[in-house]
Amino acid sequence: MSESLAAARPAPRAEVQGRLAALDTRRKLQLALGVIWVLDGILQYQPWMFTKGFPDMLAASAQGNPGVVAHPITWSAGLIDHHLVVLNAIFATIQLALGLGIAWRPTLKLALAGSIVWSLAVWWLGEGFGGILAGTASPVNGAPGAVILYAVLAVLLWPADRDPAASYVAARTLGRRPAQAIWLVVWGSLAAFAVLPATRAAGAISGMISDASGGAPAWLAWMGNHAGSALEHQGLAPAIVLAVALALIAVAVFLPARFLRAAVIAALIVSLALWLAQGLGGIFTGMATDPESGPLLALIALTYFSKEEA
Amino acid sequence: MGGPTWLAGIFAAASLAVAVYCAARLVASRRWRRPTELDTDGAHVVMGVAMAGMLVSGLRTLPGTIWEVVFAVATVWFGYRMLATRRGAPQTPWRSAHPMPHLVECAAMVFMFAILPATVAVRAASGGMGGLTMTPAESRFSFLTLALALFLFGYAVWLGDRITFRAPAAAALAPAPTLAPAAALAVASAPGPSAASPGPSAPETNPDVASPAARYLAPRCAAVCKIAMGITMGYMLILML
Repeated sequence: MSESLAAARPAPRAEVQGRLAALDTRRKLQLALGVIWVLDGILQYQPWMFTKGFPDMLAASAQGNPGVVAHPITWSAGLIDHHLVVLNAIFATIQLALGLGIAWRPTLKLALAGSIVWSLAVWWLGEGFGGILAGTASPVNGAPGAVILYAVLAVLLWPADRDPAASYVAARTLGRRPAQAIWLVVWGSLAAFAVLPATRAAGAISGMISDASGGAPAWLAWMGNHAGSALEHQGLAPAIVLAVALALIAVAVFLPARFLRAAVIAALIVSLALWLAQGLGGIFTGMATDPESGPLLALIALTYFSKEEA
Repeated sequence: MGGPTWLAGIFAAASLAVAVYCAARLVASRRWRRPTELDTDGAHVVMGVAMAGMLVSGLRTLPGTIWEVVFAVATVWFGYRMLATRRGAPQTPWRSAHPMPHLVECAAMVFMFAILPATVAVRAASGGMGGLTMTPAESRFSFLTLALALFLFGYAVWLGDRITFRAPAAAALAPAPTLAPAAALAVASAPGPSAASPGPSAPETNPDVASPAARYLAPRCAAVCKIAMGITMGYMLILML
């Protein structure tokens, strides 16, 4: 926690820098998570979310899932369709409240716990578990579902100190072994998704990138179209390159600190590349409910960034 | 602007509430001789009125061109203030200690008034929805719009982090008239004999010289107003994406 702000007033620039320094890395990352929740809340207030398109989009996530998963999705989409305006306004307000709750220290734990519950519910009822059970999951289209990453972040940024001497935030919060396990699961699962048919089929990556470019501003659409064209007849090769890169990142958490630092930087680059491939989460289309997995993966990576040798 | 009418009405009501409250702060600070950021509160008064007019057409008061000039002047003022603080100019609790967010807010207002007509035309043509097509202007400025919205959300969250229930004991010992507004957030609830009234040495005419006993006026309410303005403006910018 940062120190008291009640001090005599120095020159503002030094004052601001001093306060930022007083915020520890975990608090800064918590605030970054808060900003993303606020963004999500405001995105949920967009006009399109109050149209039938929103419950239809939710219902579409049931496709390909087993009945036990799909039926609750269909039921909830129907419920939202019948009470669209009220429920969507509530959803948006909840997300806004989660963001501001994380920002305000007295409600931090409540908001993080709420993030976990909300993320798990939306992961099922809103994203159909990110298409994992439907066989459509791919790192390029946001698997394992952006919303579950909020829950992961809430756990990694929980204000606990299982290992206060740890060199990175995640290990400080959870202890080294659990933190390593979470990193391995997140990045290892992405590597596994990268070699599934949804990614490795000919033209699959190209198709996902081109689809994500729809509705994007000209500069982003230009990038997406060029990347899509370059990968048009490719399938297995880019999928394997992506899978190997993700697998190397995943196992680097067990290596000495300097390798982990390199892996974190690589993870940040991969996150940025995935975010661009996702058309920045379709945020410019008026139909995005969140900025997709790229920024969240980057935030997870930063919780493992170690400034010093272990 | 696009979006459900009732939702725009809520945001407009919030903007107007902030405008009225900030106007009341300006009056109260003069009456009670308690410091408040005159430039920030003044900017929020005009910003609240202008934003309400952008959100609900029935609340429009002045033509967009006049608002552009008003906020351009405000942008210049906060830009000047930012340069002055960077050069280490003497600080006063009567001026914004952190001009940059207000500089961005005013610049965002100019930006919105400058490109809004084109955006509104597209929204109207597509039945209030952006859909999947963008005008060249929207496409050109979309990243800037997103960056401005993210900055404002970040500012709102940063302010949220600064609001505290109670101040530590040391806070009551800090020299009150030199407290920054954000620092005053922590001090506001600290008990003290000089909390409610100005000291006997309070100046009668010069507001730049606060009483040694005068504390920043309702710092938590000021922070909540800034958060409300940041969120509302961010909403308006997101609608323009």
